[in-house]
Amino acid sequence: MSDIVPASAEAVQRVREDPHRLGHRAHGEGAPVMGAGHGETGPANSRIIVGYGFWIFLLSDIVMFSAFFAAYAVLMNATAGGPTGRELFELPRVAIETGCLLLSSFVCGLSFAASVAKNRMWTQIFLLITGLLGAAFLYLEIDEFIGFAAQGATPQRSAFLSAFFSLVGLHGAHVFVGLLWLGTMMAQVQAKGFSRMVQHRLLCFNLFWHALDIIWVALFTVVYLMGAAT
Amino acid sequence: MSELDYDPHDLGHDHAPGDEPAESAGHWVMNYSIGLALATILTVGSFILPALGLVWGPSLPVALIVLAIAQMGVHLVFFLHITTGPDNTNNVLALAFGVMMVGLLVIGSIWIMANMHHYMAPMPPEAMTHMQAPAAAPTVPPAF
Amino acid sequence: MFGKLSWAAVPLHEPIPMITSVVVILILLGVIGWVVAKGHWRYIWDEWITSVDHKRIGIMYILLGAVMLVRGFADAIMMRTQQAAAIGESAGYLPPEHYNQIFSAHGTIMIFFAAMPLVIGMMNYVMPLQLGVRDVAFPTLNSVGFWLTAAGALLVNISLFVGEFARTGWLPYPPLSETTYTPGVGVDYYLWAVQISGIGTLMTGVNLVTTVLKMRAPGMSYLRMPMFCWTTLASNLLIIAVFPILTATLAMLTLDRYFGFHFFTNEAGGNQMMFVNLIWAWGHPEVYILVLPAFGIFSEIFSTFSGKPLFGYRSMVAATLFIVVVSCMVWLHHFFTMGAGPAVNTFFGIASSVIAVGTGVKIYNWIFTMYGGRVRFEVPMLWSMGFLVTFVIGGMTGVLLAIPPADFVTHNSMFLVAHFHNVILGGVVFALFAAIEYWFPKAFGFRLHPGWGKAAFWFAFIGFWVTFTPLYILGLQGMTRRLQHINYPEWAPMLYLSVFGVAILVVGAACQVIQLVVSIRDRDKLRDVTGDPWDGRSMEWATPSPPPMFNFAVIPNVEGEEAYWGIKTRAIETQRLGPEPVYKPIHMPLNSPVGVITAFFASVTGFALIWHIWWLVILGLVCAFAGFVWFAWRDIHEFEIPAEEVARIDRARRAARRAILERLAREQGKPA
Repeated sequence: MSDIVPASAEAVQRVREDPHRLGHRAHGEGAPVMGAGHGETGPANSRIIVGYGFWIFLLSDIVMFSAFFAAYAVLMNATAGGPTGRELFELPRVAIETGCLLLSSFVCGLSFAASVAKNRMWTQIFLLITGLLGAAFLYLEIDEFIGFAAQGATPQRSAFLSAFFSLVGLHGAHVFVGLLWLGTMMAQVQAKGFSRMVQHRLLCFNLFWHALDIIWVALFTVVYLMGAAT
Repeated sequence: MSELDYDPHDLGHDHAPGDEPAESAGHWVMNYSIGLALATILTVGSFILPALGLVWGPSLPVALIVLAIAQMGVHLVFFLHITTGPDNTNNVLALAFGVMMVGLLVIGSIWIMANMHHYMAPMPPEAMTHMQAPAAAPTVPPAF
Repeated sequence: MFGKLSWAAVPLHEPIPMITSVVVILILLGVIGWVVAKGHWRYIWDEWITSVDHKRIGIMYILLGAVMLVRGFADAIMMRTQQAAAIGESAGYLPPEHYNQIFSAHGTIMIFFAAMPLVIGMMNYVMPLQLGVRDVAFPTLNSVGFWLTAAGALLVNISLFVGEFARTGWLPYPPLSETTYTPGVGVDYYLWAVQISGIGTLMTGVNLVTTVLKMRAPGMSYLRMPMFCWTTLASNLLIIAVFPILTATLAMLTLDRYFGFHFFTNEAGGNQMMFVNLIWAWGHPEVYILVLPAFGIFSEIFSTFSGKPLFGYRSMVAATLFIVVVSCMVWLHHFFTMGAGPAVNTFFGIASSVIAVGTGVKIYNWIFTMYGGRVRFEVPMLWSMGFLVTFVIGGMTGVLLAIPPADFVTHNSMFLVAHFHNVILGGVVFALFAAIEYWFPKAFGFRLHPGWGKAAFWFAFIGFWVTFTPLYILGLQGMTRRLQHINYPEWAPMLYLSVFGVAILVVGAACQVIQLVVSIRDRDKLRDVTGDPWDGRSMEWATPSPPPMFNFAVIPNVEGEEAYWGIKTRAIETQRLGPEPVYKPIHMPLNSPVGVITAFFASVTGFALIWHIWWLVILGLVCAFAGFVWFAWRDIHEFEIPAEEVARIDRARRAARRAILERLAREQGKPA
C-alpha cells in the first residue's frame, strides 16, 4: 500500500515544516513481537479469535454473577422473620451436587481432548456423560428448590430468599442452557464430524462448562458453606 | 478468511483460552486428572472444615474463601490451561480485568451498603419526632 | 389470550400521543410504500438488512441513532416549553402523568437509543478501516447486535401508541418502580427495551474488543494504533465490564415486578438502596463508554486539521486506560446524599475528582496538538474547538459536584441537569456531529456542504449556552429537576431565556437537515475522488471513498505510527506509486438474515412479556432457539471475490491516486 498520495500540495510543505514530533518516541524498526494477535504479526487465526471472543463474553457473564453475589451478600441477613440459610441448607445434598458438577467438568475436558484428537466415538461418549452429570445436578437443585417451597421458603418470603433463589437459579439456568447447547453439539458432531466450525464450538462449550464449575465453587462456598456455618 | 484456517499443529505463539496445542492425548488426560484430584481435595476440605473445628469460628469464612480461591486457581490452570506464559498474555489480562471488576463491584457494594446501614439504622419513633421540622403551612400552587 | 392487552391500552382520548403516532405510522407506511413501489425492496434486504459488512452496519446504527436523537429532542422541546408555560397560575399544556413519561422517555432514548447507537456506529465504521482489516471479528454477531438494539428502540416507540412509558425517570428507582406504586406497563416497557438492546450492546462490545486485540494488520502494534482505536478498545472493555451489571440489576427489578420477589421492595427485607448502588455501578462507567470514543474522534480531528501528529500520544493512551479503571470506582457520587458516612463519601469524592486529571491530560494534549500547527478551520475542527471550551466548563462543574458538601446543595437540582447536558452534549454530541462531518465523505464519496455545516455549528454552540446557562443559575437558586409546575414567578425570566436557547438549537438542527439535503443535491460538486479529502493520517484514508466491500485489496503492512501519513509522504517524495501488488481472491462473510430474525423474535417476546401474553413468550423463545440451530447448521459462511474483480477495483483506485500525484508534481514544478 505504498502508493498513496495526499490531496494537496500543502501537505508536502507541512511535512517539511512540522518540527514538533513532541510526545512521540520513535519506535525504530525493532524485531516484531512474535505471537499472532499481540505485537505486530497480523491477525490471529480464527480459532484464537473465536476462543478469545468467547472468553471475554464469559468474563462479562461472571461480572453479571458478581452483581447477584453482591445482592446476596447485602441481603443475606434480611430474612424478615422467615427461615434462615442455616435452617434450610442440606450440606450432603450440596456435596453430591458439587461432585456431579466437578466430575462433569472433568469429563467435559476429556471430551475436548478427544475432539482435538478427532475421535468421534469418545467425544460423543464423554459429552453424553458430561450431559448426564449436568442433568443430575440440575435435578438435585430443582428438587431442593421444591423442598424449600414446600417448607414455605419461597422467593416471595423474604429478601434473603429472593437473593438466594435468583443467584442459585441463575447458575441453574446457565446449566440448563449448557445442556441445550450440549445436545445441539452432539447432533452436530454426529452430522458434520469435526469441521472447523464444530471444533470452534466445542472449544467454546468447553470454556463455558468449566466456567460454570468455577462459579459453582464460589457459590457453594459463599452461599451454602458460609450460610450454614454462620 | 480461509488463509486463517485452523491448523492444530501450527498455533504459532498465541493460544485460544482452553487450548493446549500439540500435546498427546495422554498429556491431556494426565492434566485433567491432576486437576480433578486437587479440586477434590480442596472441595472435601471445604465441606469438612466447619465440622472438624480445626479453625477458630470467626475466621472460618476466611478459611473457606481461601480454599475456594485455591480451587478456582486449580480449575483455571488444569482445566482451562491458563498459564503465565507469553502465549497467554491476552487471556490473562482479560481475566485480570474481569477479576478487578468483580472485586470492585462486590467489595464496593458490601462496603457502601454496610456503611449506609450503619449510618441509616432505623431509630425508635421518639427519636424521629425530634428530627421533624416544625410543621409549616404547605404552599400548594393554585393549579393543583 | 392477550394478557393485559386490550383496546383500552391505545390512548385514543389523548391528542398528543395519538397525533404523533398517526404521523409516525403514516411516515413509516409512506416509506415502506415508496420502497415497494419503486422496487427497492430486494436491494434493501440484500444490501442492508441482511448485510454483515461492518460499514453498512455502522451506517445503519448511525441512522437509527439520528432518528432517535430527533425523537429525544422533541421530548426535550416539550419539557422546556412546559416548564416555561406552567408558572404560577398556569398549569401548562402537559398533565403530570404525561410530563413524567416525557422526561423518562427523553433520558432513556437519548442515552440508550441515540447516543449509544451513534457511538457504536462510529466505532463499527471507522475502527476496522483504521486497523487495516476487512471486517470485525464476528460479522454476523455484529448484525445481531445492531438488530437487537433496533428491537429495543422499536419497543420504546411502541409504548407511545400501545400503553404508556415509564414515569419513573430514566433509571427506574424503586420503590416507585415496583408494582405497588407503578402497576402499569410503563416500567415493563422500559425494562424489556433496555434489556434487549443491552444484550445487543454487550455482543458488540465482545466483538469490537476481540477485533482490536486479535485482528490488527501486520505491523500494527498497540502503540501504532490511531487514538480512536485505543478509545474504542477502552470503551468496549467498559461495555463488557459493566453492561452485565445493568442486565443483572434490571433482572432483579423484573423479578420483583413479575414474581413478587423482594430485592428492592419496602417489605420483607428488601433494600431500595441496593438498586441505586448497582445501577450506578453501571451508570457511571456508561458515561465514559460514551465519551471515550468522543475523545478518540477529537484526537483524530485535532491532529488532522492541525497538520501535526497528536501531541503526547503515549500520555493519551495512559490517560485513556486510567479513565477506564478509575471510572469503575466513582459510582457513589451519584448518591452522596443517600446517607453513607464520611469515609465512603470522602473516598468516592476524591476518586471523582481524580478522574478529572486523566481528562485534563487529554485537554492539554489537544491544545498542544494545535500549537505550532497550521490549523484549518473546517467544520469538524469548529465542532472540536467548541467542544474544548464547552467541555472544560462542564468538567469543572462536575468537579464541583464531586465534592460531597457542595453536592448536598446541588444534588438533583437544575445545576446537575445543566452539568450533565454540558458534558454529554458538549462532549458526546459535538463529537458525533464532528465525526459525521469528518467521515461522511469516506462513507458516501462526497463532502457535506461546509457553509451550512458552519451555520449548524454556530447555532448549536450558541443555542447550547443560551439554553443551559439559565439552568445552572436556576439550579443554584434552588430549582430541582423534573418539575412539572413552577411555583416561583421569579424563575420565569431564566426559563424563558432557556426556551429561547432551545429555539436557537432548533434552527441549528434545521441547518443540519438542510446541509444534508443541499449536499445530496450538489454531490457532484462536492465529490471526493481522492479518498483522502482532509489530508488524513490514518489508514481509512488509504481506501477509496466509499471503500470497497473488502476495504483493502491487499492487507497493508504497517511500518510506523500514522501508517497512512508515512506512506503518503514517501510517495510524494519519490513521486511515484509503489509496484502493483499481486492480487489474490478475497473471502468475505456471506450475508445473513439471522440478525433481523433474532430481533424479530426478541421484539415479539419482549412485547409479550410486557403484556403478560405467556403463550407468545414461549413461542418466541422456541422460535429463537430453532433459528439459532438452523443458523448453526449452515456449512457455507463465506464467498469468494475473484482476483480479477479485486484487481479491477484496486486499479481504479491506483489510477485516481496517480492522477493526483501527477497534478501535484505539476503544481510543485510551477514557480511560486
